[in-house]
Amino acid sequence: MSPGPILLLAAAATLSAIVAGPRSARAWLALMLTGTVAGLAAALVVLGGSVDWEWRSDFALGGEDVHLRLDGVSALFLVLLCVVGGAATVYAQDYWSEKQYPQSAPRGRAWWGGLLLSMTWVLLCANGLHFLIGWELFTVCAFFLIRRDDRRPAVRAASWLYLAASHAGTVFLFAFFNALAVRRGSWDLDAMRDQAELAPLFWLALAGFGIKAGMFPLHFWLPAAHANAPSHVSAILSGVAIKMGIYGLVRFSGLLPVPAAAGWVVIGLGAVSALLGIAFALVQNDYKRLLAYCSVENIGIILIGLGGALLAASQNDAPWGRLALAGAFLHVWNHGVSKALLFLGAGSVLHATGTREMSRLGGLWQRMPWTTGLFAVGAIAVAALPPLNGFISEWLVYLGLFEAASTRTIAAWAAIPAIILLAVSGALALASFTKVIGIIFLGAPRTAAASRAHECGRMMRGPMLVLGGLCAALGLLPLLFWPAIARAVGSWRPGWADAPAPVALGQLSAAQVLLGVAGVAAAAWLWRKARGGSARRGLTWDCGYATLAARMQYTGGSLAGVAAGWFDWALQPELRQRRPRGQFPASAFRRERIPETVLEKILGPVSAAIRQLAAVARRLQHGRLQFYLLYVVIGLAALGLLVWLEGRP
Amino acid sequence: MWLPQLVVRLALWLLLAPLLPGLINRVKAWVAGRRGPPVGQLYYDLAKLWRKEVVWSTLASPAFIVGPAVAWVAVVGAALLLPLGPAGAEWSFRGDVLLLLYLLALARFATAWAALETGSAFEGMGAAREVSYAVLAEAALITAVVSLSLQTSSVSLTTMLAPTAGAGAVLLAAGLFTVLLAENCRVPFDDPNTHLELTMVHEVMILDHSGPPLAVILHGAAVKLLLFSVLLVQAVVPLDQFSRGVAVAVLAGGVLSVTLGVGLVESFLARLAFRRVPLLLTTAFLLCLFALLVAWKGGVQ
Repeated sequence: MSPGPILLLAAAATLSAIVAGPRSARAWLALMLTGTVAGLAAALVVLGGSVDWEWRSDFALGGEDVHLRLDGVSALFLVLLCVVGGAATVYAQDYWSEKQYPQSAPRGRAWWGGLLLSMTWVLLCANGLHFLIGWELFTVCAFFLIRRDDRRPAVRAASWLYLAASHAGTVFLFAFFNALAVRRGSWDLDAMRDQAELAPLFWLALAGFGIKAGMFPLHFWLPAAHANAPSHVSAILSGVAIKMGIYGLVRFSGLLPVPAAAGWVVIGLGAVSALLGIAFALVQNDYKRLLAYCSVENIGIILIGLGGALLAASQNDAPWGRLALAGAFLHVWNHGVSKALLFLGAGSVLHATGTREMSRLGGLWQRMPWTTGLFAVGAIAVAALPPLNGFISEWLVYLGLFEAASTRTIAAWAAIPAIILLAVSGALALASFTKVIGIIFLGAPRTAAASRAHECGRMMRGPMLVLGGLCAALGLLPLLFWPAIARAVGSWRPGWADAPAPVALGQLSAAQVLLGVAGVAAAAWLWRKARGGSARRGLTWDCGYATLAARMQYTGGSLAGVAAGWFDWALQPELRQRRPRGQFPASAFRRERIPETVLEKILGPVSAAIRQLAAVARRLQHGRLQFYLLYVVIGLAALGLLVWLEGRP
Repeated sequence: MWLPQLVVRLALWLLLAPLLPGLINRVKAWVAGRRGPPVGQLYYDLAKLWRKEVVWSTLASPAFIVGPAVAWVAVVGAALLLPLGPAGAEWSFRGDVLLLLYLLALARFATAWAALETGSAFEGMGAAREVSYAVLAEAALITAVVSLSLQTSSVSLTTMLAPTAGAGAVLLAAGLFTVLLAENCRVPFDDPNTHLELTMVHEVMILDHSGPPLAVILHGAAVKLLLFSVLLVQAVVPLDQFSRGVAVAVLAGGVLSVTLGVGLVESFLARLAFRRVPLLLTTAFLLCLFALLVAWKGGVQ
C-alpha cells in the first residue's frame, strides 16, 4: 500500500484535531490518535519496504511546487514522532486537564496538534522554502506549548529564551537555504553530493541545527525550556523536537558534500556534549532540569555516532562507519522513547507533589509504585545499562569506534578519545540516575507534600507502560528493528544500503534475554528465600541512634558532591553560606546554585556589552532637527570625499 | 554438550570465588604473625547467613532484596563472558567486553540502589563514593580495554586476552591492579575490616542487609574479586603460548599471586584519605593510557 493516502488521512485527522481541539477534549484525543497511528503506519510502510515515497504537486505554494518525500531517514524520525506524540497525547488528557487549567488546556490542544503536524511537515519536505516555513511553525508551536503555564515568570523567561535561541538558529538556516538556492538555482532538495563547492555550507547547517539539537555549547536554552514546559510537552521536546536538529544534520550531511573536517568537528562536539551534559545533569536539584541536561549528553552520543559515520565516509567508506551510524540512528529511537518515559514519569511526580525539587521529595515508591517502577525502567534504559535498549545503541557506537581504532589510521585519533569519554559519561550517567531514584523515590519522605503523594491515573500510566514496553522490546529484540535501521542507513548513503545485521548483535540480544530471565528468576528466588512479604521489619541502622528523622537522610547534593568536585571548572558553582560559630550556634545556612555556565558566564556578559554599546549609540538620536540635518551634511561630505578619492587617477 | 560445560564452569566460578577473601586474610594474618581465620571462613559465613532470618528496614521497598539478586546475576553473567585460559569463554562474540563492563555497571547500580533504600545517611555516603570512584575506575578500565583491542585488532575477550600485552604489560598490570583494588573495595581505597561506617565504601552500603540477601552480596563481591584477578592475569600473561595443562596452572598461579599481592598491600599500606583516592585512580588511568600508547607504537613497527 502506498503511504500517500495514509499520510493524507493523518494530515486530515490532525488538522481536524487542531480545529476541534479547543472545543472537545475527547474528539481531539480520538483525532490525534488517528493521526499518529496513521502517520506511524505510513512510516512503517516505507521502512519495511524498499521504495521511497515521493509526491510533487501541480500547484504552487509560495511560488514553489510542494515536493514531499518520505525515505528511510525521514521515516525513522517519523516513527519516533508518532510513537512519542501518541503516548504524550493520551498522557496530556489527564495531566493538563480542563478541570485544572480551564483556559490553558483547550488552546494547548490546538498548539499540540500544530506542533505534531509541523514537525511531520519538516520531515516530509523536500523543498528548502517549505522546509523553512515548517521549521518556523514548529518553533512557534513549541513556544506556545512551553508557556502553557504563563502566570509563572520562570516559564515566561524560559519560553522567551527558547524563542530567541531558536530564531538565532533559524537565521543560520535562512543563510544556509538561501545560499543553497542561490548556488543551485532551485529550492529543491535533491542529492547534490557531486557539487563540491557546496561543502562549506555544512558549517551553517551545523550551527543552525546544532542549536535546535541542544549540543554543547549551544544547549543554553534547553534546560530552562524543558524544565518549565508541562511534562507532556517536555517529553516531546526532549524525545522528538531536539531530534529534529539531528534530523537536519543527518539529512543535509547525506544530501550535500561535507568539508573534510566535518567528521572531526561533529565527533568532538559530540564527546564534549556527552561529558559536560551529564556533568551538569549530575549536580541539578530540579529533576526535570537534570533530565534536560541528560538529553544534552545523549545528543552527544548520537553526534559521536554521526561524526564517526562522516569520518568513515571521508575515508573511502570504511565499513565501521555503518556501525557507528546504525548506533546513532538506534540511539535516536532509544533516547526518544526512554527520555519521553522519564519526562512522563517526572510529570506524574510533579502532579502528585507539586514540586520539582528533589530535596523536598523522598520515599515516593510507597505511594507511587507504578511511577517508581516505570521511572526505573527509563533510568536503566537511558543510563545504557543492560538488558534494556540504551545499551544496544551505545554498544553499536562503541563497536564502530573500536573498529576505527584498530584500523590505526588517522581516524583512530578521533575514536580513542571518544571511546574513553563515552565510558566516563556512561559512569556519570549511572551516578546521576542513582541520585534521581535514590532521592526522589527511596528512603523516607522529606516533606509533607511528598508523604501525601498519590499514584497517577490510568490515562497517565498507560502511555508510560507502552513506552516502558518499547524500551524492553528494543533492548531484548534489537534484530526485529534492525531492518528499519539498515534502511535508514542506506538512505543516508546509498553505498551503505542493505547492511546485514552484525552477527554479534544477535548474540548480544540472546545474552540480554538470558540475563533478563536469570535476573527475574534470581530475584524471585531470593524474595522467596528471604520471605520478603512477611519478613521482620526494623529501624534503619544508624549507629544505634533510634530516632531517625527524614531530614537526616543523605541529600542529592552530597550524593553528587564527590564527582561534581572534579567538574568545578565547568560548573562554576556559586556558594553562599554562613558556618555555625561558637558553642551555641544560632543560625547557619548554605546555599549552592549551579548557574547555566554558557548562558550566565558567556552569553550574559556579551549581551550586556552589546546593550551598553547600543545605549551609547542611542545618544545620537535625540529628536533635535538641526543635529539630524548636520548628520546628513556630514554624511554627504563623507560620501563626496569617498567619491573624490576613488575618482583620482 | 554446552550444558555440562556451563554447569562445570559455573560451579568453578561460584565455588572457588569465596576462597579468595579467605586467602587474603591468611596472608594478612601471616604477615601480622597472627593465626587468623581459616581459609574457608567465607564459606561458613555464607552457609550461616543463608539459614538466617531477614530483618529489613521499615522504609525499604522490595528492591532492597531484588537489588542484591540482580547485582549477583550481573556479576556472574560477566564472569561467564570471561575466558578461562585454554577453556575459552562460555559466550564469546564481537563486543562482549563491552557487555562485561556494562554488566559490572549494572551490578553497581543495583547495589547502590539497594543501599539508598534505607534512607540512612551512612549508606548514602557509601553509595555516593561507590558511584563516583567508579567514574575514574571506568576510565582506566576502558583505556586498558582499548589498548588490548589495539594490540589484537579485536573486540572479543577470547582473542583480546590470549596474547601478551607486549611491552606495555607492566604498565597495564599496574593500572589494572589498582583498578582491581578500587573496584573490589580493598585497601588503600577502602578497608574491608573496619567497623567505622564513616570510612567505608562497600561495607557501609550493606549495613542494613541481613540473612540470605547479605549472603548473596558477599558471594557476589567474592566472584567480582575473582573476575578481576582472572582478567588481570590473562591481560598480562600470554596464556596461548602454553600447552593446556601449563596454561591452567599458570592462570591459577597468577590468580594466587594477585591474591597474595592484595594481601600484602593490605598488610603494609594504610587506607588513603578520601580526597587522595581520585589521585591514585587517575594514576591508574594514566598507567593504562601509557600502555595504550605503547600498544599503538608496538603495532606500527
